Amino acid sequence: MNSKRQMFFKMIVASLVRRRSRMIIALLAVVVGATILSGLGLIYFDVPRQMSSQFRSYGANIIFMPSETEGISEEELVQGISEFPASELEGYTPYRYENTSIHNLPITFAGTDFSSVLKTSPYWHINGELPVSDGQALVGAKVAEELGVAAGDSLSAINSFEVTEDMDMSNIPDYEIYKDPETGETFCDHMLDLKVTGILETGGSEEEYAYITLNDMNYLFLSERGYDIVEVSVASSQDNLASYVDRISSSLEGVSAKLVKRVTASESTVLTKLQSLVFIVTAVVLVLTMICVATTMAAVIAERRREIGLRKALGAYNASIVGQFLSEGLFLGAFGGIIGSVLGYLFAQIVSMQVFSSAITFRPLLIPIAIVASVIVTGVACLIPIRSAVEVDPALVLKGE
Amino acid sequence: MFFRMVRGTFVRQWNKMLMIALTVALGASIATAMLNVMLDVGDKINAELKTYGSNITVVPQSSAVISKLYDVDDEDIQTDYIKEEKIGELLTIFWANNITDFAPETDTTVTLDGSEVPLVGTWFNHHLEFKKKGSVYQRDTGIINLRSWWDVGEGEMLNEQAVDGDAYAMVGVELAKDKGISAGDTISVKGEAGSETLTVAGIYESGDDEDEYIYTTLPVVQRLTGSAELMKKIEVSAITSPDDELAVKAARNPSLLTGDEYDLWYCTAYVSSICFQIQEAIPEASATAVRQIADSEGKILEKTQLLMYLITLLSLIGATLGISNLVTSAVMERAQELALLKAVGARNGQVTILMLTEIIITAIIGAAAGYFLGYAFAQVIGHTVFSSSIEMSGMVAFIVAVLIIAVTLIGSIPAIRMVLRLRASEVLHGGH
Repeated sequence: MNSKRQMFFKMIVASLVRRRSRMIIALLAVVVGATILSGLGLIYFDVPRQMSSQFRSYGANIIFMPSETEGISEEELVQGISEFPASELEGYTPYRYENTSIHNLPITFAGTDFSSVLKTSPYWHINGELPVSDGQALVGAKVAEELGVAAGDSLSAINSFEVTEDMDMSNIPDYEIYKDPETGETFCDHMLDLKVTGILETGGSEEEYAYITLNDMNYLFLSERGYDIVEVSVASSQDNLASYVDRISSSLEGVSAKLVKRVTASESTVLTKLQSLVFIVTAVVLVLTMICVATTMAAVIAERRREIGLRKALGAYNASIVGQFLSEGLFLGAFGGIIGSVLGYLFAQIVSMQVFSSAITFRPLLIPIAIVASVIVTGVACLIPIRSAVEVDPALVLKGE
Repeated sequence: MFFRMVRGTFVRQWNKMLMIALTVALGASIATAMLNVMLDVGDKINAELKTYGSNITVVPQSSAVISKLYDVDDEDIQTDYIKEEKIGELLTIFWANNITDFAPETDTTVTLDGSEVPLVGTWFNHHLEFKKKGSVYQRDTGIINLRSWWDVGEGEMLNEQAVDGDAYAMVGVELAKDKGISAGDTISVKGEAGSETLTVAGIYESGDDEDEYIYTTLPVVQRLTGSAELMKKIEVSAITSPDDELAVKAARNPSLLTGDEYDLWYCTAYVSSICFQIQEAIPEASATAVRQIADSEGKILEKTQLLMYLITLLSLIGATLGISNLVTSAVMERAQELALLKAVGARNGQVTILMLTEIIITAIIGAAAGYFLGYAFAQVIGHTVFSSSIEMSGMVAFIVAVLIIAVTLIGSIPAIRMVLRLRASEVLHGGH
C-alpha cells in the first residue's frame, strides 16, 4: 500500500517536473483566473465603501436644525455628533447667521468653523485663501460684487442697535456709543474690522453671505447664541442615515435632524447602479476567464493521450489513471489559486491606491474562495477530457492514430 | 499545395482548431465587451448623476453689466428677467444635445389662509416648440426630472400636458401639514394682480426649504402677478466632461486661450463652455455652474472611468494570456506533424509560414465570433445596469483585431522556436 502511494506521488512529481513547459502554461492559466477572481472580488466588495466617500464631495447629507429659538448649544452638538460612528463621520460644520450692514448695504453674516468647512462643502471655489484666524472674512461672490471688494481688501462691519439699560456695555469702546440729540436715546455702532482673505464662488446661495469666525460673530453681535444650522457629512447607507436621524431627533430635545433628500436619495440611486455595474462586469469576466482556464487545461490533458494509452497497455485501471490526472489538476489548481490570490490582492491594492488613494480592505475569506474555485474549475476541466481519453483503445493511440 | 495543406489541417484537425478558435473568441469577447463598456460608462454614469438636479443656473444679468459688456442701447432688452420665448434658444447651442432637461422658474409671494406663502411657477413636463431660421426645435422638458428626489407621498406629480391650462398645484409637505391640505383639495391663493383657485395635484417631500412652497404652472403665476412671460431663473441639467487643465485655464479667462485651445474648449462639453454658449444664445442672461453638482459629477465620473479602465486592463491581460497560452500548447502538440514535414524536405521558413497561416485564419474566425459575442455581453451589461444599450464604437473593433493578431503571433513565438529546433528523426522516432 505504502509503495503504491509512493509510486503515485513519484509519478505526479515526475510529470510536473519533466513536462515543465506545459505545466507552466497550465499553471499560468490558473493563476490568471485566480488573480481575476480575487482581484475583482476584493474591488467589488470595497467599491461601495470607497465610492461612498467620493460621493461626500456633494457635501453635507444631514443637517441639524434647532427646535428651539436659542439655537443648538455646543453640548447638544457634541452629543448629536457622538451618535455617528467615527469611521463614517467625514466632518461637521456649525453655522450661525445674523443680518447687519456694511457701508449701509444689508449683508447676512455667517459665523462658522473654517477648519472643517471644506469637509462638509468640498465644492467651494475660493479665489484667495480660506480665513485662518479671527478678523478675517470669506466673502460670497455676489456680496463681493455689490461691495466691490476683492481678496486682500479691508472691510468694516457695523452692527447698529439701540442701547437699553439692561445691556452690558463694558466691553465696548466709548467712541462707538452716541446719543441722539433729538430723542435722547443711546445708540451704538459696534464695529469689526475685517480683512477679506478670499472670494467664495459656488453658483448657489452661499454666494450671498459673508463668512467670519464664530468668535468674531460673538464679538460683533455681543452675544453667544447657539448654532442656527449644523451641516454633517456622513459616509453611510441611506437606511443607516435615516436611523441616525431618527435617533438624534428623538433623544435630543433641542435638535431636529433632517436628511438632505436631494443628496441622499440621489446618492443611493447612483451608488446602486455603480455597484451592479462592477458586479455584472466581474461576473461576465469571471465566467469567460473560467472557460479560458478550462479550455487550456483540456488542451494540456488532451495532448497526453499517448501516455494514457501506454499506461493502459501496461495494465493500469481507468480509475487510477483518472485519479492521477485529477491529482495533478488539483495540485495545479491549489498552487495557482494561492499565487493568484496574492496577485489579485496586489492588483486590487494598486487599483484602490490609483483610483481612490486609499488602501483596500483586506477580506481574508476571499483567499480560500479563490483557491477552492481554482481547484474546482481545474478539476472539472481535467475530468472531462480524461474521461474521454481513458475510453480509447490503447493499441490505436500507441500506433499514433 | 500550400492551400491544400492548410485546408487539410482544418478538415482533419477541426476539433483542435475549434478549441483555439473558441478560446480566441472568448478572449475577444471579453476585450470587446469591456472596452465598449469602458468607453461608454462615462456617458451612462453622467446620465445617472443627473438625478442630483441641475448643474447650471441661468439668471438675468443686471442691466449695468449688459450695457457695459455689449455696449447696447436697446430698450427692448429686458434685463431683470428672461423672456419665456427666449428659453427655446437653449436648443440652438452647439451642445444642445447634451442638455438633458431645463425648466424656467418665476416666483412670487401669495396669500393663503391669511399667511404669506412662496409660490413658484415652472414647467413640469412642458412641450417646447421653438422656431428659428426655418428650423423647428422640439423638446419635452421640465422639473419632473430636475426634482427626482421629490417624494410625492400623496396624489401624484402634476402632469402639465394633461391639465391643459387648468389651475393645478403641487404643495410642499410642511406647508400641507400646517394648513391641513391634502391631495385633491382646492386652495385659493391671492397674488398682486388677482386670485386663483388651485386644485392640489399632489403633496411632495423635498427635505429642504421647498417643503414650504407651492409649485404651479407658469400661466397661473402670470395671472397672479399680472406680468407675462418673465422668468427669474432657468435651471439647466447638462451632461458635461470633467474639468481638466484646459477648462481651468478657460474658466480664468477664455480670451487668454490660443486659437486652437479656444476651438478645443468651445467644442468640448465642459460646464464652462456650455455656460458660455448659453450666454451667447441669450445675451441678457448669465449662466453659472452650480459647483456642488458640477464639481462632484466630475470627480465621480473620473473615479468611475479610472476604475473601469483598470478592470478592463486586468481583463485584457487575462484574455491575452489565455489566448497565447492555448496557441502555444496547440502548436506544440503538433510537433510530430511538423517534424514529418521537415523530414520530407520542408524548410524552416515554409513550416513556420504554414503554421502561422493556419493559426491566424483560426484566430480571425474566432475573433469575429468573439466580437459579436462581446457585443451581446456589452448589451447585457448595459440593459441590466443602466436599462439602455451600450453604444458600440468602431475603434473597439479595430483595437480587438490588432490585439488578437498580436497576441496570436506572440503566442506562436515559442512554437516557432520549437519548430526551428526540431530534429525530425528524434521526434518521429518518438524518443522525445
